[in-house]
Amino acid sequence: MLGRRGSLWFLAIPPYLWLLLLFVLPLGAVVAISLLPGSGRINFSAGWPSTNQYQQVLETAAYLRRLGISAVMAFAVAASATVLAYPIAYFLAFRARGRATVFLILLLIPFASSYLLRVMAWKLLLGSEGAINWVLTSISLIHEPSALLVYSQAAVVITLIYVWIPFAALPIYAALQRIDRAHLEAAADLGAGPWTRFGRITVPMSLPGAVATFFMVFIPTVGEYVTPSLVGGTGGIMYGNLIQDFFTRGGNWPLGSALAVVMLLAVLALVLIALRLVDLRRVAV
Amino acid sequence: MLAYSPRIRVPFVVLASAVLMLAACNANTGGSTPPSGSTTSAAPSVIEPNKLTVLEWSGYEKDDFWKDFKTASPDTTVKFEFGISDADILSLMEGGSSADIFHFYTGWQQFYVDEGLVREIDTSKLTNWDKVPDSFKKMGQVNGKQYFLPWDWGFTSILYNTAHVSGDVTSWNALFDNKYAKHISMWDDGPAAVTVSAYVHGWDETKITDDQLAQIEREWKTQKPLNLHYWTGEYTDFCPEVISGDIWVAYAWQGCYATALVDGTQPVKYANPKEGRNSWVGLYGISTKTASYDLALKFLDDKLAAVSCGNAVTLFYYGCANQDVMKAITDPILIKAFAIDDPTVLEQTNFTPPVTQAQRDAWTAMWARVKAE
Repeated sequence: MLGRRGSLWFLAIPPYLWLLLLFVLPLGAVVAISLLPGSGRINFSAGWPSTNQYQQVLETAAYLRRLGISAVMAFAVAASATVLAYPIAYFLAFRARGRATVFLILLLIPFASSYLLRVMAWKLLLGSEGAINWVLTSISLIHEPSALLVYSQAAVVITLIYVWIPFAALPIYAALQRIDRAHLEAAADLGAGPWTRFGRITVPMSLPGAVATFFMVFIPTVGEYVTPSLVGGTGGIMYGNLIQDFFTRGGNWPLGSALAVVMLLAVLALVLIALRLVDLRRVAV
Repeated sequence: MLAYSPRIRVPFVVLASAVLMLAACNANTGGSTPPSGSTTSAAPSVIEPNKLTVLEWSGYEKDDFWKDFKTASPDTTVKFEFGISDADILSLMEGGSSADIFHFYTGWQQFYVDEGLVREIDTSKLTNWDKVPDSFKKMGQVNGKQYFLPWDWGFTSILYNTAHVSGDVTSWNALFDNKYAKHISMWDDGPAAVTVSAYVHGWDETKITDDQLAQIEREWKTQKPLNLHYWTGEYTDFCPEVISGDIWVAYAWQGCYATALVDGTQPVKYANPKEGRNSWVGLYGISTKTASYDLALKFLDDKLAAVSCGNAVTLFYYGCANQDVMKAITDPILIKAFAIDDPTVLEQTNFTPPVTQAQRDAWTAMWARVKAE
């Protein structure tokens, strides 16, 4: 029989092993490749480790500028998705009552379709022959249909917000579910109106969930490359597209890896700064 | 202090493990690959497995494009793996892909030979080899040896919509014309951008200097806002936009030109620029690791046969190296697409030359900077 400690190890080893094999080791490989001196066939025998690739990244203003643009786009997507997902989560937690499960399933329905399909749907909606162009031309807001609605930075942001909203609602819903209803009842007994209760109890107590949601959306969005490839055009290119180019089209894995590591470090720094600025424990009290 | 030391060591252990793992992979692939000089066309005397793995581009796995082999060898198992670019296919082969046959495009031949990734082709065993013109055979030769079998080919030029572009397009410069702002589309490829600039300026694309590359970068950065988008897939994100009328001027292969002609929605033309068109050839190589050399040869020979080659022409609108198939074309659209009615077109065509790894890296990085701007 396994003891308590043994059971804990038994439960902990598989996920840690999984993380080690499929996250830590690949990440280590990316770091190792980024320290290669040149491109071509991977060979650690000559000139490794080298900071050549990092020098190239840091000396190229265009790469860093694109990283900044991608971070701003990711911020817009994460903030919008969090704000738009909040009412959905609130409805599920406080208003749906017995039908919450049904609405939760409805919320999850988009996951049943492929990510690409959902992005392509936006391409059709925003395209020159799409519904949005048709409406805009019908009300004479534009004279002729334009494909520029789809191939733009705005199209990338709109599409990503749409894609993220169902995901974003879930952690907020979980945070709202955890709020002890007795707090709200006590506030009501003391004369607090619905908006006061919402502003002084519900929002602060669900803020950790909202902040977690924000970062859950922000972090992967900075490195996004599929959506900008499909709907971004030349203006909506993101930093992730540059990384992808070096891996798949340029055959320059070391430079691609260095770009990826720089992005990882930049995102980590941003998250740490944000967590310093927002003291969740204080806000949530 | 001691209490923290194991935690500090963990990342180093992980990093070292990753490096050792990669080094081991590298050593394995390097060790198992004989040098190119040692490869011969002699077939192994052992019994070959009756299966083939082909490293292909998506779309080429369709039965239509290897129909003759499938009909002749119904019991052979043919598995397809996919690459998404020439660089990707080279990386996969370098990384130890188990593919017996791989498919790539002109400009990358030397890398496979230098790295000992390809076996010489025994053309005496190919029944359809005499149908391949010498000019195409030469594309597959490196150091005087036939390492590659040419199969599909085509042109690159400017495709334009005559409803929006007045007069004939006579130069690659049309891609930089402000008149067509937001209706231009360039292929998302650094080496292609360098090629276009070399044509426009009359430079030798194999001898681009640092100053010339800097100028090319500036020009493409200025050109960037003129594009609707940079296209990546001929039949996915490019041709539909040509047919919808959103793209008026584009860097294009003749496949989309033929598709737009067949569709008929937009009036399109395919330019004969004064600098000349570009032409590319798809090449197949047989891996040095293959245990099915004769079967791979048979597969490639059958790729050149009438039905498979003919399907590439009629279904994909790509040319095929079997000149009998090309000569038999009677469809007026295909005659236009391949400029079969213009005997001088090949004289004005620039074939994609091989370039070095350093050039590819510099050109790809230049294009990444253009995109990042």
